[in-house]
Amino acid sequence: MLKMRGKALGLVGIVAALATAWGRPAQAKDRFYHLGQGMIQVIDGDRDAIVAKIPLRGWTREAAVTSDKKFMYVTASRHLIHKVSLAEDKVVATVDVSGDGWDRFIYGFTMAGDDRTAYAAMMSRTTRDGEAVVGAPVVAQVDLASGKIVRSVEVPWGVARLVTVKGGQQVYAIGKDIYKIDAAGGALKVVETVPMFEKKWNILPFWEYGWESGGLAAANYYTPDIMGLLTVDEKTGDITDIPIQGDPVLAYSVILAPDRKTAYAVMDDLSVIDLENRKYGPVVPLEQGTSYAVNLSSDGKKIYVGSAGASVTIFDAATLKRLKVLQLASDGMDLRRVTF
Amino acid sequence: MKKTKKKLIRALNLKAKAIERLAEGEEETVLAQGGPPNMPQGCTTVFDTGWETNPRPTMPTGNCAPSARDYGGCAGDCWWPAQVPDGLTNHADFDESCPNVARDWRNMKYD
Repeated sequence: MLKMRGKALGLVGIVAALATAWGRPAQAKDRFYHLGQGMIQVIDGDRDAIVAKIPLRGWTREAAVTSDKKFMYVTASRHLIHKVSLAEDKVVATVDVSGDGWDRFIYGFTMAGDDRTAYAAMMSRTTRDGEAVVGAPVVAQVDLASGKIVRSVEVPWGVARLVTVKGGQQVYAIGKDIYKIDAAGGALKVVETVPMFEKKWNILPFWEYGWESGGLAAANYYTPDIMGLLTVDEKTGDITDIPIQGDPVLAYSVILAPDRKTAYAVMDDLSVIDLENRKYGPVVPLEQGTSYAVNLSSDGKKIYVGSAGASVTIFDAATLKRLKVLQLASDGMDLRRVTF
Repeated sequence: MKKTKKKLIRALNLKAKAIERLAEGEEETVLAQGGPPNMPQGCTTVFDTGWETNPRPTMPTGNCAPSARDYGGCAGDCWWPAQVPDGLTNHADFDESCPNVARDWRNMKYD
């Protein structure tokens, strides 16, 4: 009996071990997408090597990824939306939001949550009787298959970033202030304005790395005295202000480390920010020059700094030592990571 | 830096020589004030897109550095349409001949 029980337990153990092995996710694989001029270049995060070049029309600006990570939608020349297959590394469709006699320009782009539509903050213009006519700025829900506007709501001037929160129930439009837009009903509606301008915040929110940071979008802002971080929790919609004490560093973009105890900011330098103590850490000059974008490997061990010019520099996050410099084919606007 | 540029660039026509004389005068004025000028110097007289002010006390004193790195980001969005191609209206495809401005700047064609 004991012998049989021992055999049974052994069998259970083998089955459990196999189940554990099968259930364990394969090692995360990072790919970085350099949003360039007339192209996207793909960097393999294991080898830190350029592995693909995706030609496309226009100068890229923003990106959003479908929930299954099969496609990335990339805006280009402020009016094109390219659908990029991440499995095939190629553009499979393109739509243009301009049409019906109107030029439209996208400044802010985020998936709507249904993977079929996206929200785009847009400005517009046309001519009438030889005179220029400028449309009111809007946040519009766009059908990604046709480029047509499904619905829209007027917003104040200056919106440059959109963040989808609460599973698509709301969209936050970040401009001079933050405008919370209710997207759950039949019509889009601005339901709340969170002031920034009155607090003397100055923000250029072209860059945020919400999907790389576990759903916590972050952008840096400046007051006349300090720099701070604005964060938006995409799941709850909570907005947090993290003022950093001390003379501000100058940064285009900022990303949170996976432990959320550290942030990294870049412009002409790579600056470390101690979020627990809300103060600045080491600052490393960027030898390749000004950079717009900063990203991290999914384990937080490597920092990727690039765009603006045609290079990506990879740093060891623990030592801030430069590990590698990749020379790219084009200048760029952003560097996004997708982990498969 | 300035001495290096002088070795490489030589005024050839009357206008260039006049600008050179003017610049020499400005240099003396600035030096008399006790140090190098802060940014912005302006980007209408030089091919320098690094117009954003950076108050740091050490070099580089202005953003962006090198200025070519900021070119595509600002040209497309029409930040400074008098100095760089206006990507929203007149030169929507400026990037096609010049995807990497540090390498391809000779190919730029715009009015």
